Amino acid sequence: MKNFKYSWLVGVVVTLVILIAPILYFLPKNEAKADDPWAHVPQRLPHTDHSALLKGPFADGPAVTRACLECHEEAGQQMLQTAHWKWESEPVLLEGRAEPVALGKKNAINNFCIGIQSNWPPCTACHAGYGWVDETFDFTNETNIDCLVCHDTSGAYVKANGGYPAEGVDLLAVAQSVGSPTRDNCGGCHFRGGGGNAVKHGDLDESLYYPPDSVDVHMGQHNFVCTDCHQTEDHQIKGRAITVSLDDKNQVYCTDCHTEQLHDDERINAHVQTVACQTCHVPLGAVREATKMHWDWSTAGQDREEDPHEYLKIKGSFVYEKQFMPEYAWYNGTAGRYLMGDKIDPSRPTSLNTPHGAIEDETAKIWPFKIHRATQLYDTEYDYLLNPKTAGEGGYWTDFDWDQAARLGSAVVGLAYSGHYDFAPTEMYLPLTHMVAPAGQALQCVDCHSSAGRLDWAALGYEGDPINRGGRAQSQLLPADAAGEAN
Amino acid sequence: MMSKPPFSFLIPPRRFSLWLLVAIPALLFILAAGVALAQEPSVHPTFPLLDENGQNVLESGQPVSTMTSCGECHDTAYIESHSFHTAVGLNEFTQAGQAPTGRAWDTSPGLFGKWNPLTYRYLTPSGDDRLDLGTADWIRQFGARHVGGGPAVASRTGELLTALAVIENDPETHVLDPETGAAAPWDWQESGVVEMNCFLCHLANPNNEARIAELQAGRFQWANTATLLGAGIVEKVGNDWQWHEAAFTAEGELAAPFSAMQDPTNENCGQCHGLVHVEPDQPLATTGCQADQWSTETTGQIMSPQRLADSGMNLAGKQALSRAWDIHAERLVACVDCHFSLNNPIYYQESEETRPEHLKFDARRLDFSDYLLRPSHEFAKGQSAQGSLAPELKGSMRRCESCHSIEATHDWLPYKERHMDAISCESCHIPQMYAPARQMLDWTVLNPTGEPQVGCRGFAGEPGDFDRLITGYTPVLLSRRTIDGDATLAPHNLISAWFWVYGDPTRPVRLLDLQSAYFSDTGDYHPDVLAALDNNGNGELEETELRLDTPDKVEVIKSRLAALGLANPRITAEVQPYSINHNVTHGEWVTKDCQACHSQESRLTQPIMLASYLPGNVLPEFVIDTNTEVAGETYTTPQGELMYRPATTAKGLYILGHDRVAWVDWVGVLILLSTIGGIAVHAGLRFFVSLRLPQHEPELEQVYMYTTYERLWHWLQALAIMALIFTGLIIHRPDMFGQFSFAYAVQVHNILGFILLINALLAAFYHLASGEIRQYLPHPQGFFSQAITQTLYYTRGIFRGEAHPFQKNPQKKLNPLQQITYFGILNVLLPLQVISGMMIWGAQQWPQIANSLGGLPFLAPFHTLVAWLFASFLIMHIYLTTTGHTPLANIKAMIVGWDEVEVHGKA
Repeated sequence: MKNFKYSWLVGVVVTLVILIAPILYFLPKNEAKADDPWAHVPQRLPHTDHSALLKGPFADGPAVTRACLECHEEAGQQMLQTAHWKWESEPVLLEGRAEPVALGKKNAINNFCIGIQSNWPPCTACHAGYGWVDETFDFTNETNIDCLVCHDTSGAYVKANGGYPAEGVDLLAVAQSVGSPTRDNCGGCHFRGGGGNAVKHGDLDESLYYPPDSVDVHMGQHNFVCTDCHQTEDHQIKGRAITVSLDDKNQVYCTDCHTEQLHDDERINAHVQTVACQTCHVPLGAVREATKMHWDWSTAGQDREEDPHEYLKIKGSFVYEKQFMPEYAWYNGTAGRYLMGDKIDPSRPTSLNTPHGAIEDETAKIWPFKIHRATQLYDTEYDYLLNPKTAGEGGYWTDFDWDQAARLGSAVVGLAYSGHYDFAPTEMYLPLTHMVAPAGQALQCVDCHSSAGRLDWAALGYEGDPINRGGRAQSQLLPADAAGEAN
Repeated sequence: MMSKPPFSFLIPPRRFSLWLLVAIPALLFILAAGVALAQEPSVHPTFPLLDENGQNVLESGQPVSTMTSCGECHDTAYIESHSFHTAVGLNEFTQAGQAPTGRAWDTSPGLFGKWNPLTYRYLTPSGDDRLDLGTADWIRQFGARHVGGGPAVASRTGELLTALAVIENDPETHVLDPETGAAAPWDWQESGVVEMNCFLCHLANPNNEARIAELQAGRFQWANTATLLGAGIVEKVGNDWQWHEAAFTAEGELAAPFSAMQDPTNENCGQCHGLVHVEPDQPLATTGCQADQWSTETTGQIMSPQRLADSGMNLAGKQALSRAWDIHAERLVACVDCHFSLNNPIYYQESEETRPEHLKFDARRLDFSDYLLRPSHEFAKGQSAQGSLAPELKGSMRRCESCHSIEATHDWLPYKERHMDAISCESCHIPQMYAPARQMLDWTVLNPTGEPQVGCRGFAGEPGDFDRLITGYTPVLLSRRTIDGDATLAPHNLISAWFWVYGDPTRPVRLLDLQSAYFSDTGDYHPDVLAALDNNGNGELEETELRLDTPDKVEVIKSRLAALGLANPRITAEVQPYSINHNVTHGEWVTKDCQACHSQESRLTQPIMLASYLPGNVLPEFVIDTNTEVAGETYTTPQGELMYRPATTAKGLYILGHDRVAWVDWVGVLILLSTIGGIAVHAGLRFFVSLRLPQHEPELEQVYMYTTYERLWHWLQALAIMALIFTGLIIHRPDMFGQFSFAYAVQVHNILGFILLINALLAAFYHLASGEIRQYLPHPQGFFSQAITQTLYYTRGIFRGEAHPFQKNPQKKLNPLQQITYFGILNVLLPLQVISGMMIWGAQQWPQIANSLGGLPFLAPFHTLVAWLFASFLIMHIYLTTTGHTPLANIKAMIVGWDEVEVHGKA
C-alpha cells in the first residue's frame, strides 16, 4: 500500500461510494407533480407617479389624451385596433354564411337591451372613447380615446352618456393618478354589464371588488387583478366571450397556468378530456349577487309597482336568481351567431349564440352556462328580431310606443319594418368561467353521477350515466379516429 | 311449484309492449298522486299480490304475504333460510348464559337474544320467573330493526309461532302485562306473524313508519302490507286495509311502476342501520345520538356524500370542512357494492384458499336466472367488534386493500409494510368523527320520564341547547384481531353502561321493576328516593342529582329493589366497543403527520372519556364477545371523569418516538453523566497541576502515523456516528426536537446507518488485508502489566508531568487501554448496534427475524441503550485525544497524518 502513489484517490472514491450508495437507495422514488401556476402570473409593473408629469389644466377628455400620447406615442395607434375601441371584430367567415362578418357590440343584437344602434349615448358610456353619440363617430381619431377609464386609479373618474367624463370630474387629479388597470377599472363596465351590478354575466359582479375566497379563489385568496389572467400586449387584452366574439383566438385558458393532469386522482384527470375545468370548479353562478335570468319585454309599459329586480315600466318584467345551478352543454370554444335580419321561428326560442360542439366533437367539452332567456320584439311579417330605439327622443323609454321605437330603430340599422310586431322568445348563452371556487367547493362525483345528479346525460348525447356506460371514448360516441386521439 | 315459467320477463318483445300499455296510465296516475317512486324504469314484471293462502288480496282483502307473492318467482324459503337479517340469532339460539357474549341472560349472538344496554329490555329466557320480553313483545320492541321472518315467524325450536301450545309463563306465548307485572298470554292467531318483508329493502319508498306502527300495535300480519302504504296501492281506513284496484292491472297484478322492485339502495339499508342522506342540495341535519339511527347513534357514522361544510349542522370549524361525510358515498359506492349477496354472480369471487393454483380466474358464473331464483341473502360482512351475528361470514367482505392499491398511493410512507401490518387503513383514514355519538348510559337511575341518564360525546356546551356546538370526537384505537389472526389497530367508539342486576343466574333488573323502585304509584319519585338523592332539597331531582355517587344512595335503591323480591341487587357495568369502518376520507383529511403517532402525545394512546362520572363507584369491564384486545388502563381524573387509555406496548408494539423504556434512559443518562463528571474532574486536576509543574518539554519526532485511507475512514465514521446519535435522539424524543421533521430524521438515520456499515466493512477488510488489524490485538505477553502502567499514567503520572509510558509509532499506534477499548467498541458495541439497527429497519421486510429477537419492544430499547454507551465512549474518546503533548496534537495528527511523537531514547 505504501508504494501506491494514488492511495488517497482510492480512498476518496471509496468514501464517495460509501456516501452515495445508501442515499440513492433511500431517495424517494416518485417524481413530484410539476405544477407551478405562479410561474405564469405576470410581474406587475412598478407604479410610475404621473403627478409631476401631468400639469394640466385639462379642458376636456381629449386634452388629457393628447397629453398621454406625447409620451406614449404608440398607444394611440394600438388602441385604435382593439375591440375595446372598435366594438367590432375583424371579419370572420362564419359557417353557413357566404361573406365574412365583422361583429361586436357595435352591431350585435342581444336579449338584454337588444342593440346599441340608435341608442348610442347611454350604451357608449362604457366605450373607451369620447363622443360616440351617433353613427358619425370618428374611429380613426386618436384623441377620442379615453385613456382614463382604464388607467384611473383615483376612483374619482366617472363616465356619462356618449362616453364623456361626467360633470364635476377633476380631470387633472384623475390624470395624475394613472396606473395599471385595477379591478375597479375593468369592473366599472364589466361588473355592470346589462346596465347594472350583476345583471348580465352571472359570473361577473361587484362582489369581485373585494371577494372572499369562497367567491373567487384567484381574486380572493390569491389577490389577482383582472389583467393577471387577461394579459395584455399592445393594449390587446386577452379574452373572448361568445356573447360578442366570433372566434376563440387570444382566449384565456385555465391551462395557461395550470397543468391539465394535476389532480391526484386519475379518475378526475380522465375527466379533463371531456369536462371543462369550469364545470367542476364553477359549481354555482351568481355566488353573491343575484343575476338576471329572464327578461320579458312584452310586459313593459304598464303602470304598476316597480322593483328593479322584478318589474320596470320601461323594460318589462325580470326574474333574478342567486346561486343558480348552471346549465350544461357541449362547447368547443365557438358559437353560432344570430345576425341582424336572420329569420326566426317565433314559435320556439331563438338562440342568439348556440355554443358549437356535440358529443362527437372531440374538441368540445361540457361547459357550464348561464342561459339568459328573454321575450323580445320581432317583426311578424319579416320574422326577424327588431332593434328598437329605446333611449333618447322618440324612444320607447320616453314614449312607450313599440311601433314608433321599432320604426326609428329599424331605420338606423337599415332593416325593413313591416309595421307589425310581436314578442318572441330568445336565449343567450353566457359561459361561466369567473368566480372559480376553492378546490374544497368543486363539484364531487355525486353531483353529476347519481340519480339526483345535475347533468342530463341523454340531452348531452350519452347512452346513460358514463360512470356505468363508459365515457364517449370507450362507448364509441366519438368518431373512431377521434376516439383514438382522445386516448 | 310455479304456475308460470320463471323470468319470462326476460323475454322482452311481446310482453314489453304490453307492459308499456299498462305502465303509461299507471305513470300518469302516479304523477297525479304526487308519489315519487323509482326513477329508472324497472325490469321487474307486474305480479299479483297474494295472501298467505295464495289468493289475490284484491279478492280476499287479506294482508299481503311476501313469502307467497314473491315466492311465485323467487325461492323465498331459500332466501329466508339464507339470511342473517331474518334469523338475527334464532339459528344460533342457546341456553341462557351459553351465548358467546357471556352474559348470564343472553341466548344468542344476534338481535334476538343478545342484550344491549342501549335498548335495555331483554328477551326473557324460557323458565325465568320474571318475564320482561316475550317473543311478541320482542317483535313490538325490536321489529323496527328486524326485517321479519326468523323469530317473528318461528319459535326457538322451529315451530310456527301460530302453532304453539300455550304453556304457563312461557315467553314464547306470553307478554308482560305492564299493569300487573305478570305474564299475560298472547294470541298469535289474532296478531299473526311478521313474514320476511321483501318490500322494506326492495321498494324505492317503503313506508317504514306505518310498518313500525303496525308492529308496535301488535298487528303483526299487517306490517308488510303497511310497508306499501302511501304509494297508492293500499290505504288504511280506521283499522281496516283497503286495496286500491287502480294500482292493479285488469288481470289483478300489481301494475308498473308499483311493481318496480330494485336493488336495495343506501336509503333502504339506512332505515335500520343509521342515517343515510342523499339529496345533494338538502343540507344534512341531525342532532345525533338518536335511537332510530343505529350506527349513527353508536358511532356517529353518517352515510352521506355531502361535504360537511354544506351540512345544516352546527359543526365546529365547519367552513373549512370541505370533506364529504363518506368518501364512498360521495364516489357512488353503495352499501350493497361492498355488502353484496354472497352468490351474486357480479361480485362473487372465489376465495384464495379454494382457488386452484393453476387458475387465476374462474369464468364460470352462476346464471342470472339461477341467482334471481335463489339469491343468497347472506351478505358480505366485515369484522366489527359489535357484530357477533353469523360469525362464519366474518370477513367475507372485501377489505380496503382488496380494492385499493396501497403500493400506488403510499410511497411517501416510510416503513409501509410495517405500518400496514400494525394499523388498519381506517386508523388514518377515519381520523375524526364529526357527528356526536353515544358515550354512556346510566341505568342505575331513572330520570323523571323513566329514562336512564345518558351521555353523548362530540358536543360542546350544555345538553339540551339546540344550538350547541358539535365538535365530534376522535375514535379510540383498539387492537382488532382479524379472522386471519392479524392484530391491527382500528378506530372504535366505546359505549359504557351501568345497570342493576340481581339473582343467580344473573338477570338485569326489569325496566318495570326499576320504575317501581324509583317511582311511587302517582308517577312521582318515591319519597325514599327523593330523600336520598335530592341534595338541594327542592323536591326535584336535577340531572346532577340523579347519580348514585355515595354508598348510602346505592343502598337506598338496593333496598328498594330487594323489597320487590329481587335477590342481591347490585350494580354492574360494561364497555362495548363499536367498530368504525365508514365515513372514510382521503387526501389532506387523512392522518399523515408522523408525529400524530410518533410523539409523546401519540394518537395511539390517546385516552377517550368513558363517562363524566362513575355511577355507583363501579368500574366497567369490557364485554368479551368482541374481536378487540383490550390492553389499556381505565382511570378516573381528578374531576371524576372516567377515562380509558389504550396501551401500545402491551400489544407488542413499540412506537418510535412515543414508547420508551424508562430504566434504559436512566441508565444511559447516568453513564453519560458519570463519564462527563469523571472527565471534568480529571481535566480540572490536569489544569491545576499544569499551573504548578514546570512545562514538560519532551523530545519530539515527526512520524507519518495515519495513512490517507485510515484518516478518511476514521472521520467518515466519526461524522456518521455523531449524526446517528443526533438523528437517533430526534427519533427517540421528537417532542424535544420539534423543529426537525420526524420522517426526515428517520430517513437520514437509515442512510447514515448504511454509510456506517459499509464504511465499517471496508475498514475491516482493509485492516485484515493489510495486517493493520494487529494494531488492535493486544499482545498477551505483558499485556496486563502494560495496561496497569497506562492506567497509572492516566491516574497519577499525567498529573506529575511524566512522559507517556509507551512510545507511539506507525507499527504500534495504540496503547494497551486503547487496544482493549477499541477491541470492545469495534467488535462488540458496533456490531450490536448495527445489527439491532438493521433489524429495526428490516422489521418491515423481514418481521420474523426481528420478532425472533423479541421484536421492536426489545430491539428498540436495546438500540437506545447501546446508543447511550456510544455517546459516552465518544466523549471519553474525544477527551483522551487531548492527553497528547499538547491538547490538540492528537486531533491534528488524525487530520494531517503526521504526528509529533515523544522520543523515548533511540529504540
